[in-house]
Amino acid sequence: MTNYMGPVMAALALLAGACHAADTQAQAKPTAAKPATAATAADAAPAAAELPRWVQAPTGSSLVFIFDQAGAASKGSFRKFTTELAYDEKSPAAGSLNVIVQTGTVDTQDQERNDMILSADLFDAQKFPTAQYTAKTLAPTAAGALEAVGQLTIRGVTRDLRLPLKIVKTATGLELSGESAIKRLDYGVGQGEWKTTEGVGDQVKIQYKVALVRAK
Amino acid sequence: MTFSNTTRSWGALTKALHWVIVILIIAQFLIASRAHSLPRGPALIEAWGWHKSIGMTIFMLAVIRLVWRWMNPVPDLSAEIKPWERKLAKISHVLLYALLFAVPLTGWMMSSAKNFPVSWFSLFQWPDLVAPDPALSKSLETTHETLVKVLFAIALLHIAGALKHHFIDKNDVLKRMLPFGGVR
Repeated sequence: MTNYMGPVMAALALLAGACHAADTQAQAKPTAAKPATAATAADAAPAAAELPRWVQAPTGSSLVFIFDQAGAASKGSFRKFTTELAYDEKSPAAGSLNVIVQTGTVDTQDQERNDMILSADLFDAQKFPTAQYTAKTLAPTAAGALEAVGQLTIRGVTRDLRLPLKIVKTATGLELSGESAIKRLDYGVGQGEWKTTEGVGDQVKIQYKVALVRAK
Repeated sequence: MTFSNTTRSWGALTKALHWVIVILIIAQFLIASRAHSLPRGPALIEAWGWHKSIGMTIFMLAVIRLVWRWMNPVPDLSAEIKPWERKLAKISHVLLYALLFAVPLTGWMMSSAKNFPVSWFSLFQWPDLVAPDPALSKSLETTHETLVKVLFAIALLHIAGALKHHFIDKNDVLKRMLPFGGVR
């Protein structure tokens, strides 16, 4: 971990210098650095815009989350979400990924629990009807796999998140899959009494499988 | 007091299982009553977590108890106990054993059907018995609660019988199951 800190601090210092004009803003909002990242990605892969575009097929996709409830791993899913992927297997790193989840479609097979999850102290779906994952770059991992380098926004809170991606060809297009884990409290999912992790754990596992077809 | 049963008295393990299950059933009733008065929230989730863990404990103890009963002699009833009393005792004991299994099992199935899996004190998780099904979960909830009422009714009969033997017939039926009471 420590050996990363030097370069990271240097990069931050450079970034701060570059954003000198908007200095105070940049410090208040880390997302202000976004345009710089996008520009770098575009420079590295000018072909990004021309990459084949893939969109989620009408069926065959699932977005599952597994949470700890009173010591037992419990499952839920989102019934509606949309995925867009720019991807070419010849230059996977040039790709990008965008996923929008309709939080109101949460399904834990129990209506009372669904309503609870959508309430103000948890997802607050009325105020935040969507959650979003946006990755402007995909990066190969040391193990030879691929991961999306992006940000996840839930309940208005945006955090960096790398998601492992397994992309395989299917008869109808591509299938993207993988799993990861996040901490719900990092995104403020759990206000008031739900800040405790006694009844419902902080860590939430996410499993995704998306059927993609070539966009027209 | 011996560890195993003899033809004259209950052993230590049988007595321990009997009384520990009695205490756990009372605890279950109190926790469930409290849970029904709690608003939806983490405290409610925890209350049901305890209820499920203790329920599965009762289930495991019931398995041990039944196996132990088969492996062990059952003390003889004294000759003065009438045939109708023997018959009633037999029926109520069979039903009590059956309910020690049926009540936890319907609770476990109901949890599976509700998609609220069962853990054992957060140490391990029990497999789901049925696929999530809200309608099935609702009917299992009714069954679970009805079986508890039957359990309590038969337990009352069981207690009444024990008291009758002790205070009216003045035999040793109650004394021989008391934790430290002994029949040589």
